[in-house]
Amino acid sequence: MIENIEKDIIAIISDVSGYEPAEIKPETNFFQDLEVDSIKAIEITVAIEKKFKISVRDEDVPKIATVKQAVDLVSKLLEQKKN
Amino acid sequence: MATPSKDAYDAVIIGAGISGLVCGCYLAKAGLKVLIAEQHHKPGGYCTSFRRGRFTFDAAAHCFGGYRKEGITRKAFTDLGIDGKVNITKSDPSDTVITPDHTVSFWSDIQQTVEGFRAVFPEERESIKKFFQFLLNPDPHSFSRMRSWTFQNLLDQYFANDRIKTLLAAPLLGLGGLPPSRMSAFIGSKLVSEFLLDGGYHPDSGMQALPDALSERFKELGGELRLSCLVTKIREKEGEVKGVMIGKGDLLPSRYVISNCDARQTFLTLLGKNKIQEELRGKLASMEPSTSMFIAYLGLDGQSRFFPRPGTNIWFLSHYDLDKAYGAAREGDVDGFGGYMLRLSQDRSTLIALVPAPYKTKRYWLANKKKALECIIKKIENNSIPQLTNCIKYKTAATPQTLRRYTLNYHGASFGWAGTPSQLAVSGFKKPSFVKNLYLTGHWTTQGLGISGVTYVGYDTAQIILRKEKGKIIYSHG
Repeated sequence: MIENIEKDIIAIISDVSGYEPAEIKPETNFFQDLEVDSIKAIEITVAIEKKFKISVRDEDVPKIATVKQAVDLVSKLLEQKKN
Repeated sequence: MATPSKDAYDAVIIGAGISGLVCGCYLAKAGLKVLIAEQHHKPGGYCTSFRRGRFTFDAAAHCFGGYRKEGITRKAFTDLGIDGKVNITKSDPSDTVITPDHTVSFWSDIQQTVEGFRAVFPEERESIKKFFQFLLNPDPHSFSRMRSWTFQNLLDQYFANDRIKTLLAAPLLGLGGLPPSRMSAFIGSKLVSEFLLDGGYHPDSGMQALPDALSERFKELGGELRLSCLVTKIREKEGEVKGVMIGKGDLLPSRYVISNCDARQTFLTLLGKNKIQEELRGKLASMEPSTSMFIAYLGLDGQSRFFPRPGTNIWFLSHYDLDKAYGAAREGDVDGFGGYMLRLSQDRSTLIALVPAPYKTKRYWLANKKKALECIIKKIENNSIPQLTNCIKYKTAATPQTLRRYTLNYHGASFGWAGTPSQLAVSGFKKPSFVKNLYLTGHWTTQGLGISGVTYVGYDTAQIILRKEKGKIIYSHG
């Protein structure tokens, strides 16, 4: 489950940033390592919400900065949705 | 039967708009063999100039932004070595907003701008500073948090006075074609920071100097530019682009195809309706293009003491209801719009004025073009330059039909897709997932932010492709 989420998130980050999936590691910081700027940050957030059918709260937005953080956030939100 | 030419290109770019040219220059600079095919007889897209007798007019884009030291336009021009090759003047103030009760200006010195706003709205003293500070140094996550906000929501966060909100948002009707109640907070913020807080740059010989300089550089870098060259098809086989067809069927093979034309045309006409997925077809059908423009071009003879400062964009609005103005503009009601943007050229020989306008039939604009032109002239006479008529030696206008005809932008849209929150960051246009090596660049990829916006997208598209190429090179060398 987590692996699938990670794969999907890496695909989104790759699509938006233009970096190959192989270059994107769990600890890669989107802003520092992948040249993600404000518009790309919006694209990532919107794409994650659409892909997983979740809605990211304002206070959680800064957590979308590395693959690992994004996976943790999505897993938590999916878990909450189930309950 | 099409015969493939001997030498395949690494990349073919459809359209020599600023985004296509910037992208082409970066790719050519990296050593790729690049062709740019442009249907018009001159490069530039919306960034062109034309001559009528002794008058030279900017066709649509009439100044640009993002040219401060760390600005994106400056970066691209420096990277590509055209910085310094074109004489560029920054008007100061770049923009002045005038209503019956207030006048505010945007100066090179931000402090001067802040003080000017404070003098008019003393009660908003602190908010003015905070607002501009936010726009110039946004936290990287702030716009993600505001992804569903309108620009009105953002203005409401900072200001209590409705007048200051109107004065800040009035130019955005001309720069983005939407009132603050419909414009995304991100787009509105970028327009203010790129165009008003760092705008008003203009090549001395006219906007055509920018695409001309980029074209020259592109050719110096080994690129091939074909003008009056209409691409009729993008060839794709088994989910990968193979090249483009020009005219009646010459295939130009290429590893990458980059479309600098509008998304509808790229997918529905060039790629073909049957090649795209149902979902994308639906998206193309339901998405809203941005508003078009009606532009008046006036050649002047003689001077008037009422002329505004040359080079400064004057945004006049006779009222404070931007939703009403937008509603009137959508109907083609130039009079009801109640405003205009006007700019006197540096040499005071020409004046252009524009209002947002709807795409309507050729017949409609044939019947209404003259009326709309006279209405704008009358309004300028009444509100800005008394007896302007006496100074006019030559006059003509561009309607949304004219804009479409020269650039093939869908419905003559000025800024690609409308910059509403729901259309912000819509994915799938920049790099369609179902055709390998097809890219889109320019204002139809998601954000319509003028010259600096399309420069950014052109740069970004080139970087994405070059990163892929670099990966390949590393791989092939083990």
